[in-house]
Amino acid sequence: MNLLFPLSPLLVTGFGALLLMLTEAFGTPRVRAAAGEEVVDAGAGRSGELALGAAVVLLAGAVLSVAVWLAGPAASPELKLLEPWLVFDGVALFMSFVLCLGGAFTALLAGGYLPEHQIDRGEFFPLLILATLGAQVLSASGDLLMLFVGLETMSLAVYAMIGLRRGSARAVEAALKYFLLGSFAAALMLFGGALLYGATGHTDLRGIGQAVASIGQPESTVNAGLVLLGLTLNLVGLAFKVSAVPFHMWTPDAYEGAPTPTTTFMAVAVKTAAFAILMRLLLTSFGDERAMSWGAGWPPVLALLAIVTMTVANLIAGRQESVKRMLAYSSIAHAGYVLIGLVATMRSPIEGQASVMVYLLTYTVSTAGAFGALILCGSRGAEAVSYDDLAGIGRRHPAAALVFTLFLLSLAGMPPTAGFFGKLYIFRAAIDSELYWLTVLGLLNSLVAAYYYLRVIVSMYFREPAPGAPVATPMRSGLVTGALVLAAFLVLAIGLAPATPLAMALGSLTGG
Amino acid sequence: MQTLQVVFPPTDFTLLAVILGLPLIGAFINGVFGKRLGNQAVTLMALGAVGASFVASLLAFFILRGQQAESQSAVRLTWTAWEWLTLNTPNARVPLEIKFSLDALNATMSLVVTGVGFLIHLYSSKYMQEDPGYYRFFAYLNLFVFSMLVLILGDNLPVLFIGWEGVGLCSYLLIGFWFHEDANAAAGKKAFIANRVGDFGLLCAMGLLVYYSGALNWSGIEAGAAGLATQVQIWPLGREVPLAALVGQWINAPVYVDASTLVAMFLFLGCAGKSAQLPLYVWLPDAMAGPTPVSALIHAATMVTAGVYLMCRMSGVFVMAPKAMLIIAFIGAATALLAASIALVQNDIKKVLAYSTVSQLGYMFVGVGVGAFTAGFFHVLTHAFFKACLFLGAGSVIHAMHARIHDTEASQDMRNMGGMKAFMPITHVTFLISCIAIAGIPPLAGFWSKDEILYMAYTQSVSAPEAVRAVYPGLYQWPAWAGKALYVMGLLGALMTAFYMFRLYIRIFHGEFKGWTIVKGWVDPHAHAHGDDAHAAHDGHDDHGHGGDHDHHAFDPDEPREGPRPHESPWQMTTPLVVLAALAAVAGFLNAPLIGLHVLDDWLAPIFTLAKTGVTSVDPEHAMMLTLAIPSVLIAATGVGVAVYFYYLKGGEPAAAIAEKAPGVHRFLMGKWYVDELYEETVIGAIDSLAEFFNWADRWIIDGIVARLTAGIARLFGSVLRFTQTGRVQAYAAAMVVGTALVGYYLLTPRASAQLFEDDRAGSYRVEAAPGLGYSYRFSSQLTEDGEFQLEAGDAFHDRRTTSFNLERGQSRTVRVEVKDAFGHTSKWERRIERPKTDGRPPGSVDFNTMIQQGADGRPRLVLPPGHPEPTLPDPGADPQGGAQ
Repeated sequence: MNLLFPLSPLLVTGFGALLLMLTEAFGTPRVRAAAGEEVVDAGAGRSGELALGAAVVLLAGAVLSVAVWLAGPAASPELKLLEPWLVFDGVALFMSFVLCLGGAFTALLAGGYLPEHQIDRGEFFPLLILATLGAQVLSASGDLLMLFVGLETMSLAVYAMIGLRRGSARAVEAALKYFLLGSFAAALMLFGGALLYGATGHTDLRGIGQAVASIGQPESTVNAGLVLLGLTLNLVGLAFKVSAVPFHMWTPDAYEGAPTPTTTFMAVAVKTAAFAILMRLLLTSFGDERAMSWGAGWPPVLALLAIVTMTVANLIAGRQESVKRMLAYSSIAHAGYVLIGLVATMRSPIEGQASVMVYLLTYTVSTAGAFGALILCGSRGAEAVSYDDLAGIGRRHPAAALVFTLFLLSLAGMPPTAGFFGKLYIFRAAIDSELYWLTVLGLLNSLVAAYYYLRVIVSMYFREPAPGAPVATPMRSGLVTGALVLAAFLVLAIGLAPATPLAMALGSLTGG
Repeated sequence: MQTLQVVFPPTDFTLLAVILGLPLIGAFINGVFGKRLGNQAVTLMALGAVGASFVASLLAFFILRGQQAESQSAVRLTWTAWEWLTLNTPNARVPLEIKFSLDALNATMSLVVTGVGFLIHLYSSKYMQEDPGYYRFFAYLNLFVFSMLVLILGDNLPVLFIGWEGVGLCSYLLIGFWFHEDANAAAGKKAFIANRVGDFGLLCAMGLLVYYSGALNWSGIEAGAAGLATQVQIWPLGREVPLAALVGQWINAPVYVDASTLVAMFLFLGCAGKSAQLPLYVWLPDAMAGPTPVSALIHAATMVTAGVYLMCRMSGVFVMAPKAMLIIAFIGAATALLAASIALVQNDIKKVLAYSTVSQLGYMFVGVGVGAFTAGFFHVLTHAFFKACLFLGAGSVIHAMHARIHDTEASQDMRNMGGMKAFMPITHVTFLISCIAIAGIPPLAGFWSKDEILYMAYTQSVSAPEAVRAVYPGLYQWPAWAGKALYVMGLLGALMTAFYMFRLYIRIFHGEFKGWTIVKGWVDPHAHAHGDDAHAAHDGHDDHGHGGDHDHHAFDPDEPREGPRPHESPWQMTTPLVVLAALAAVAGFLNAPLIGLHVLDDWLAPIFTLAKTGVTSVDPEHAMMLTLAIPSVLIAATGVGVAVYFYYLKGGEPAAAIAEKAPGVHRFLMGKWYVDELYEETVIGAIDSLAEFFNWADRWIIDGIVARLTAGIARLFGSVLRFTQTGRVQAYAAAMVVGTALVGYYLLTPRASAQLFEDDRAGSYRVEAAPGLGYSYRFSSQLTEDGEFQLEAGDAFHDRRTTSFNLERGQSRTVRVEVKDAFGHTSKWERRIERPKTDGRPPGSVDFNTMIQQGADGRPRLVLPPGHPEPTLPDPGADPQGGAQ
């Protein structure tokens, strides 16, 4: 039997992580910057090589995901052997592509960021790949136990990545907060899983789904109350991971305290994986008409979460003085938009899921790009954090400002960037599902969001730094530049040919 | 040829990608790396890109010609770059593709764009040599060529629109190229704004076309053009105006227009913006602030003719709208006259040429307006040659004048010129050839194209295709006088054209060179008193004088007479002049029906097959062609003769005399009919008042109330925020607990809700309870106001989710739905339902909304209720008199 090819996206990341760990432990760096010597290219040290290695592994994972996707599930019937534990279907492969892409961006950004800010620690990269592997497993899991394994693999690695800067109290605090609350959420999920198992006798999602569907039939012994309790706890656990309000409180602190590449990873990959499994869980196990009811099912809960998440996050984001913290709130707000897409699966399952998938892709490239541009704009001792730090950068470093502008416009949803089409598909799915007021609230929120994104652009182009104020100087790093060029290309390419990702997403769902 | 057809198959004609891609690459490389590349590499890149694109266009042209000759019908070679989006309209699915196509019309146009474009690139390589923004200039110029190619090669309106905006952007950038001067930046802005007005029209037209013809690509629009033969209600839009109670019901009286007229007028608004027609022409003369090669390429040869191209492209739509076409033809004629009259007195040589361009564009619109699309397009071609040549010649003169003076205004003022013939022979000869061409003297190009337009204007009218007229008899018919009026207006314009062109020519190249006297800051003290022609008259006295020692201008007598002399331009600048002049001389023979040549007619005939069916001619045999040509030749000769007499023989004296006798008219023309001032007063004034109001509103309402309120709310948020976002992890966990509790409360308590399906007319009602996991239901109703609720089927909760019942007119009841969840908790939902006493319509009326359904072809279809008599529609094929003989 040939499982190597269809499983290659997972195998490459798994073995890549091990290989990189060994390299990190036993390899000797070729270039050692002598003490006091000026390092011109930030990626030249040890991290540079490891980052490049990690990026290659993750990009290979992304490419292999697409290759397996293109070959189609029919080409590898062996994959059925893994079910129900791992469901490596079109959606999972699409998500695996997005996750690997997000991981690769993180690797490239870290390759520039870590040495520049003197946290040149090699273990970051194996951890990053392992976290990506966890995310891939999480998004493809078809069983509650597998789900938990994936979730914890991802989370544990991310805790360590946050606390990388051991000397910094804020980083350690951020890691600890995320760890404590994450454990809390994981415990809730585990308990929810236990309840579901107790009620239905199944841990695999499809089995739970069949048991839920049998509720109300005369011979059924499934307790609807327990099922609903299990659903509640699982919803909360995943809402924590996607940082929906009011389960978002950890997000700004953790995002701000973490090294920016880790923040990027949390904002893109962790969120994407959580949304992927949330979508799978809801539609596989709770896809029953009664569980999806607009009167008394999970869609109204998610709709409420979406509204609260978008509104609160956008209003708070507008009041931030730190661009990094603003981006943290922005990522919370984007979770709200994705939730709209999930609600839309209620009446138009295919379009709703496809819109969520495309949105996660566009969100990943735009957000990774925005954090990357923020990284690029800063250098040692002069990290760009606040709006004031960015003042006048449009004049001093036009190229950096230009790509930053592009990503911000994409996040704000301006055509012809990727972000516009992500939003367009979400709102179109919502309208198809007759969720008019939810769409209107989403649109109003994008309007509010445009304010704080444009504020960055205004700072960059129309403000000059106050005399004597510390000025951010962009770093020089081929890796960061490479990541930004790739992200900018994708943002524009998706904006110009948005039909391709949509067709891919639809194809994943319909098996075409 | 065979191999070429294999390499470039008609449905995947990748040669188009080459034609388009080269200038784009050129623009990219010059724009990004130009500063580092150095001028020579920039020149090579820019010229190479456009030159190679020209060669590719030539190749594509010949492939197309081969295939068209083979198939004897319209051939369209297409290349789809990618599919962008799909629009779902009520009537159709419209794919928006980034798709390009080549047919006879745009193959010809692309030769002009790349060919003339290349010549002008070559010319610019010398003209702009000293400019610090050299690389920037060529990047913009290449980008312009790319955008223009997108515009003409696009296979659908959205792609055309991308190019349309692209050329607008490049035009804006190049007009304001020397943006350090405020006037130039303002001119750029003016062009931008005038074009926005036009773009609005184009966008509206696109929306209407999607709706009525169900397509946006050329073949689809042509196929669906018949769908435009319907009426659109343009007032009231959507809802009725609520003011009716105040001002009376007349305000809601519906107003209808033909869809075709509406679409054609919106399209024309777009064309008028881009092609500088009344009332949007004002930007073009100001656009001369840009470098002269830009004026030649963008504001004479290519971009400004985009409107004419679009009208030719949409000929199938335009011929459906006779009323709009009459308006368009008269707007064209009026523009031609207005601009020509202004050109009579201008002194800035580029301004004269600019108004001349506006005027010639007016002729083109007369041509396409009367349905003579070939004639209009023919004039686009010939005009591209002679006007580009004239602009480049003017540039050459200005370049030469710079030897004496580095002042933009003075170096373009014809009062400072004269006698340039001696200094620059090549420029002189080519300029003269182009002048003869534009004046309409046979056998040069301008004569043939202008004459064809005038002939067509006299004889032809737009009447819409016979088939459309038969089913849609309300269409407008042209009055008989229209053609004669257009012809006379055209002749008058031709007279003025010949006059002002030769005035320009003589005052630049003949007489005494007056450039010796110009120094920086020199002001003619007499200019304001007598006007410019008065000045010319004074100069006429010393025709034979030398150097102008006894000139009575107040200039510093110590200023040296000698010094740098004007000189002929280098070969990079004269070669384009020679080539363009040669083309201006011979291009007319493409379509010279008087001597039996119809090359262009035959070539374009397949494109305009549909349009041909929509026009009628009073002279189908072309018998009047020669008769009508004679006055036009005579009048051109008269114009030239008067100019020669006024300015060459009499040195401008008669003109000055006329200007003195009728100072009002002269001032009026010098002031360009005060159109700018009119706009200033009305449009801009109105906008200013509006701005004033909004400023007030902003200060008092937005800042005063809204902002303060928002700030207050935000502050409130802030304090709540500080309270929650404490940084204390216990608080965060507590929030999660509260959140979990809320989600749990929502999911774990019963939630009764139901949907009501009413049919008031039949009196039947159905209530459907929303489903929920583990729910069971119970229905009860209250028949009277204060009565008891009566359970429907016993005490027990059951699985059935719906109940239905009937009501009499005026009867009501309250329905209650009770839900029990898995935990045994219950919840209830109540709704009072009343059937109205009447259903609000007169008895026997028909509900049209229920009768319009989607047909198999995606278009709405009327479905009649059973028993309703079939409506009798007039049979389009039947004799309108209805007489059975």
